Amino acid sequence: MMENSENLLELAIKLALRKGVEEIIALRREGNNYQIRFSNSAIDIIKEWNEDLLELFLVKEQKTTQLDIKAPTPKKIEKTLSTTVKYLSKLPRSNLYNGMETEQHSYPSIKDLFDKKILEFPEKALEYINSALNASNGNGIKNLAGVFYFGYFSTDLLTSHDVKSTHKSSYYQFTIRAFADERSSGQGIACGRNLDEIEKKILNAVNHAKDVARMAVGGTQGKAGMYDLIMSPTVAANVFGQLTNAAQPLLMMIGMSPIKIEDVGKKIASNSLTIWDNALLSEGLNSRPFDVEGTPSGKTTLIENGILKGILHNTSTAKQFGTKTTGSSTFYSLGIGSKFLAPAPSNIVFKEGDHAFDEIIRESRKPTIYVTSNWYTRFTNMLEGSFSTIPRDGMFLIENGRIIKPVEKLRISDNIHGMLNRIEAIGKKLIQIKWWEVPTPTFLPAIKIKDVNMSAATQ
Amino acid sequence: MEYGKDLADHAVDHAQSLGATYGEARYIYSEEESIAARNGVILSAGITPLKGLGIRVLVNGSMSFVSTAKLEKQHVEKLVKEAIKYAKASKRKKPIQFSEEKTVDVKWKTPVKIKFKEISLEDKQKFILDLDKELNQKFRLKLPTRTYLLHLYSENKYIVNSEGSRLESEHSLISFHSFNTAKGKVGSEQRMLTLGATGGWEWLMEKEIDKKIIEDNIALVNVARNAIEMKLDNVDVVISGEVSGIIAHENVGHPSEADRILGREGAQAGESFYKDLLKEGKLGEILMGNDCVSVIDDPTLPGSSGFYLYDDEGVKARPRYLIKEGKLNDLLFNREYAHEFNTHSNAAARSMNYKSEPLCRMANTFFEPGDFTKPELFEDIKKGVYLKSFTEWNIDDRRFQSKYVGLEAYLIENGTLTNTLIRRPILELTTFGILKSIDAISRNGEFSLGICGKGDPMQGIPVWLGGPHVRMRTIRLGGNK
Repeated sequence: MMENSENLLELAIKLALRKGVEEIIALRREGNNYQIRFSNSAIDIIKEWNEDLLELFLVKEQKTTQLDIKAPTPKKIEKTLSTTVKYLSKLPRSNLYNGMETEQHSYPSIKDLFDKKILEFPEKALEYINSALNASNGNGIKNLAGVFYFGYFSTDLLTSHDVKSTHKSSYYQFTIRAFADERSSGQGIACGRNLDEIEKKILNAVNHAKDVARMAVGGTQGKAGMYDLIMSPTVAANVFGQLTNAAQPLLMMIGMSPIKIEDVGKKIASNSLTIWDNALLSEGLNSRPFDVEGTPSGKTTLIENGILKGILHNTSTAKQFGTKTTGSSTFYSLGIGSKFLAPAPSNIVFKEGDHAFDEIIRESRKPTIYVTSNWYTRFTNMLEGSFSTIPRDGMFLIENGRIIKPVEKLRISDNIHGMLNRIEAIGKKLIQIKWWEVPTPTFLPAIKIKDVNMSAATQ
Repeated sequence: MEYGKDLADHAVDHAQSLGATYGEARYIYSEEESIAARNGVILSAGITPLKGLGIRVLVNGSMSFVSTAKLEKQHVEKLVKEAIKYAKASKRKKPIQFSEEKTVDVKWKTPVKIKFKEISLEDKQKFILDLDKELNQKFRLKLPTRTYLLHLYSENKYIVNSEGSRLESEHSLISFHSFNTAKGKVGSEQRMLTLGATGGWEWLMEKEIDKKIIEDNIALVNVARNAIEMKLDNVDVVISGEVSGIIAHENVGHPSEADRILGREGAQAGESFYKDLLKEGKLGEILMGNDCVSVIDDPTLPGSSGFYLYDDEGVKARPRYLIKEGKLNDLLFNREYAHEFNTHSNAAARSMNYKSEPLCRMANTFFEPGDFTKPELFEDIKKGVYLKSFTEWNIDDRRFQSKYVGLEAYLIENGTLTNTLIRRPILELTTFGILKSIDAISRNGEFSLGICGKGDPMQGIPVWLGGPHVRMRTIRLGGNK
């Protein structure tokens, strides 16, 4: 039996080298993920996914391929490698691959990446959710729907350059939607790693969702037109995430990014906007001490005072563009097909502004729309940045510094470049957002944008 | 396969022995191959084989699901035990129940003439590179960024449940995706094209997929260089199968999902405006559009991307008339929600892989063809727009407020389809705004692949998007600004 990670990774490297592969990354993630899904204030299903995934990246004569082996065993590794190495030999040389990490490093320590309380958490999680659901109805709330993810896993890395490391991590991710009636809802999010005060964090998210839902009751058709727009952290994470998620060379190369490599050093946003990628935050859901090549993770400035300072790189893309890796190498999926060795964000962090949320509302003298959540963001043209997205949950009209009424059925139809350059206020309070529509953990406050086009159906 | 089947059988037996009132296991053995290329260069290629087991149980009316790729008896027994424990602990007050359905013992498969393994990797790459070479020679800098992905997927599946159903299937799905950018006189236009089918390698030749992609790119370059802004207010609009297909899917298919109507997707994909309609009226009575409007969801279309003969709960598939002659007629049911509606499942339960629970899903959703030829649709239009393809689109989470931005769109004048290209006309309409404006539907249709997203974690499943041409009267274009 050779099922411990060190032995399996060594075996994979040894077998691949024996078959003529020159460079190998072997990364194993092993653990359990759980989900409690609920709607109509009742639990619909509890899921447990037992995960054990070995991801391999192979290089031979400048040819590359990536493969996954689920529940790896020595026999499975041997068999899969035999097929894959033959496959690899028939591929052309890669012009994306320019090398991987070859140095051994010491890695940063990230506080609280793993909370051992997670091991005893599944039963407690059910109690917390049932408790929240039992107290859900009344006070104008008809029902709650949501999802609670949590889990833990170990990550073990070994490359053919003898770069190796390991870390353990745990996480939780809670999304709740409260319904006051069929058309009036509010959303709350709580996510992180440390389970201290988890009950309180869940309760805060539930209460926030309920408050927004109650405020949304009686919403009427909004009037299409030009408004100032206040995006909640949830909305801003989704909208500006279209840029930060694409601040990497692969997506730029295929035309799926609103920024270009030539934009580095240029002003692309209002002066008040500063954004980092930071893999070292203790509560960050994508925090990690090293990337998949074994390069130490760190903090990278993407935008500083409105200027695009840089993009994310791994060893290959950094060599291609004559710069240094940002320790952002991942096995990157385009959503279908085998994965690329390409950079991707860890946790995106916005610099806080100087406005309390109440101040942003108070200072909104002209007609302003406050959007609390959104979904279905799609582009007409990713290079131009023209897009639209649909508000969901409570949406409110603000005039003369106060919320006048709930509105509904409007759509944000604008351009991401224009919106980045029309930032009028940034909130003080950062929260971490990750949910269905925000795949990259993002720490950010509410953000106000001037003169945004809000459209509506014509008939 | 045999070992996986035995393990699935054992998982169900074990669940029953531990007190499950219902148990179901799906063993899947699949192989996925993909080749991606950009501008004449292969970017990546790989094969991933995958075996795994997903187990769903009901205990005292509560449901749980576990999955693993570690196919060992003791490990599976441990997971089943945990599934039972979690279901018991969920303390659901209103029990989940399934509709009663016939038990089946069947084998089915998708017809395949040429298996993917019979084609060399060199020939697979050649198909993409030859296509790109032709496009590059034809357009050079007018089409500066060309990205392709060829995806080949084959799957063997075994489903067993505690009621005695056993199903074995062999499935094969092929798709070709391209994302290209054409440079215009001002700016650029981008196009995501996805074509697919169930079947084998033969699909690429039989359907002349290379020609379709080249024609699509000729249109893309033409749009980028020649489309003009045009102020059009109230006009008649004819939409192609590509556009009518996305409308049938988004505005009719999604709101028809019974789980969504009853709120199970509340925190994710949202609810459905049908919830309001069904409070006031009944299936078969609620008016959705004109008499000529019927919308069908049919998993049994041979060769379609959404093809299946039995769903993931073992129910025999059949076409579903979601709207019939203008009236809301049927919904998409799995067994849980069929019971809620006091009816039987119509085989809409689909899951993406062994790790996913089956949900109410579409297969191939389209407007039922009518009596008109395509030229007849244009005949009496004084001024109108023909939307042949679309780019940006979205819809609210109750599936009522939709937006479709035209990509290849032509001016119709005095009954004739002209060559004048209109830049990015916008249909920003409610579902009723669309369905009640339709007055004619063509005889023939065409289909392309869609990957439909739903669930949490997101489950992307293959469907066909498409159908006949559809005419809509007096549409105010441009969104309400």
